[in-house]
Amino acid sequence: MDLIWIVFASAAAVAITALATAWAQGRIGPAVAASLAEKPELATTAIIMVAIPETMVILGFVVAVMILLRGAG
Amino acid sequence: MIIEMARVRIAGPRQRLDPALRLLQDVGDLHLIAAPPSVAAGGPPGSQVPRLARHARRMLDDVDAAITGLPREGPRNPLPARQVRLPPAARRAHGLRRELDALARARAALAEESTALQQYRAFFDAFEPLLQRTPRWPDARASFVLLRPGAGASVAELERSIQTVTGAEVEMHARPLPSGETAVLLLASGSAASEVEKLLSAARLDELPAPRGLGEPSLARAMPALRARITEVDAQLQANEARRAEIARQARPELEALQAQLHDLLLLAEARAQARTGELLFVVEGWLPEPALAPLRERVARELGADFVVAKVATEPWTRGDAPVALANPRLFRPFELITRAFPLPRYGSIDPTPFVAVFFPMFFGLMLGDVGYGLLLAGIAVTLRWRSASGTTLRAVAEMALGCALFTIVFGLAFGELFGKLGGALSLRPLAFDRENALAPFLIFAIALGAVHVVLGLVLAVVGAWRQGQRRQAVGRGLTIAMIVLSALALLAAFKVLPSRLFTPAAIAVLIAFPLLIALEGIIAVVELMSAFGHILSYARIMALGTASLMLAIIANRMVGALGSALVGVAFALLFHLVNFAIGLFSPTIHALRLHYVEFFGEFYSPGGATYRPLAHWRATA
Repeated sequence: MDLIWIVFASAAAVAITALATAWAQGRIGPAVAASLAEKPELATTAIIMVAIPETMVILGFVVAVMILLRGAG
Repeated sequence: MIIEMARVRIAGPRQRLDPALRLLQDVGDLHLIAAPPSVAAGGPPGSQVPRLARHARRMLDDVDAAITGLPREGPRNPLPARQVRLPPAARRAHGLRRELDALARARAALAEESTALQQYRAFFDAFEPLLQRTPRWPDARASFVLLRPGAGASVAELERSIQTVTGAEVEMHARPLPSGETAVLLLASGSAASEVEKLLSAARLDELPAPRGLGEPSLARAMPALRARITEVDAQLQANEARRAEIARQARPELEALQAQLHDLLLLAEARAQARTGELLFVVEGWLPEPALAPLRERVARELGADFVVAKVATEPWTRGDAPVALANPRLFRPFELITRAFPLPRYGSIDPTPFVAVFFPMFFGLMLGDVGYGLLLAGIAVTLRWRSASGTTLRAVAEMALGCALFTIVFGLAFGELFGKLGGALSLRPLAFDRENALAPFLIFAIALGAVHVVLGLVLAVVGAWRQGQRRQAVGRGLTIAMIVLSALALLAAFKVLPSRLFTPAAIAVLIAFPLLIALEGIIAVVELMSAFGHILSYARIMALGTASLMLAIIANRMVGALGSALVGVAFALLFHLVNFAIGLFSPTIHALRLHYVEFFGEFYSPGGATYRPLAHWRATA
């Protein structure tokens, strides 16, 4: 039973943060695309802007790994 | 690093302004700025410069258009400037532009006609044997219909309807064409022809007409003329190309030399507008690298004489923010200036991060991809790109950066014992550091520790930058932030018994003492910045996350070989999956290594806003 909860918790850590990242990138992406149409020189800033929310899912992944490692230990 | 600049003022006899500017253009070191009104009583030289610039721009339009109209060739090979006399050369360029424009228009019309005629060629090939045999009816009439792709099924229906109405007076033949369309030929007796026309009209099927200009309404009779026209159009296209090639051979070197001359003239006109002239004197002012000052003085004295003065402007009248920024880095680091330049240039007097980027960017990339096989593939691509690109181009810089990334990927691949995932095991490749598949926690700690080093390095650079700019209070504040990060790391390591436990209490007390000092020095914003620095360090966990994901994808690719029944299909899928993983492995680590630099590292110290150093020099074509 514990194993189910450990797996469920680690999956939730990735899934929830992935949804949050997707939501944020979904908002940032169109705004950035519109800016690039007018100012192509903002491409570097645009890449950074889109990449910033990915921190959430990456940290979610790290938390998931830690949950699995603690569960295994 | 950012080159040290000197601000200079050059004065001389007014009537010798043009030779002076030409010499400065030959030297190619002085970034001109408008001289302040205080240095000369007059304003910018008036005369005919704007009119000359207008003429030069018009001539340049002709030359640019003529060069664009020529077939693409290899590297530029302009005539020596002395062999080009401006007015006659400009007239020739105008004439060539008109001829090349006419050739381009004719080429476009011929290409369009050729495309249209080629559509009929498939029709001829499909039905020519049928049309050449003796017709069943002496008064037979041929109708051609083209059915759009996917409408082939309605052929049978069309044939049924025609047979019902006209009986055996019509022959119908259908052939699929390579384009996906279906060609339909209807041969009808004279009496049935009008019925066929009505049926086609009712079914909204348009008969294919003969191409315009051939004077034949029927495709059957137009065929010989069509074939002759196709040959004629091909010949005219070849003649058009041959004429363009001939013009290119004869005129390109002169056009390229003229283009450079006109650009130089325009640059001189712009430079003239920056100068100030009084009754007797002219004054120009600008920036140049400090080491280039003495050679400039020497050359002005030698080539212009003693009537000219080159004086260094004392530092009091200008601030460091006024100076343009030129980056100069060792050859090995220079390609990475591309990453720095993608951001606004650093302010003059601040720190150029290129050397640090050149070390950490490929290192982060290599840590994330970390596979000998992928590294070798990337090295192959980088070497090919480098070989095929011209020196000094963006492509060359990208190729050289990719080579650095490939090197680190191979090194970390050896450290992790990875060759296309775990295939290295078959070649006795063992991890020299740790196995990324099983050692998730050590990899995570390593990534965060590396982040701490990188962020602290950024803060150290911030201390140096603030100190150099005389902002001592800010420098001390940044130093305290570094101390807080280091002490917190020590306390954590002591708490987890990585370091002796007795270190925990002194480290924690030191943090508690440093914290109020930091707030006293930098205000409450220091707390936010400290938290953000910790956040930045944690953000380096992405190195571990992306590295693990890359490895897992490679392992899944390898497992496909045995999982899909047929070994052949399995190998094909495995190769495809490795290819996809390699593509992701190029894109994702690049984006995240860039982000770690731009957000986490640059965020600590980088002060953008430097003006680009653009010296007055001879124009050079960009690749």
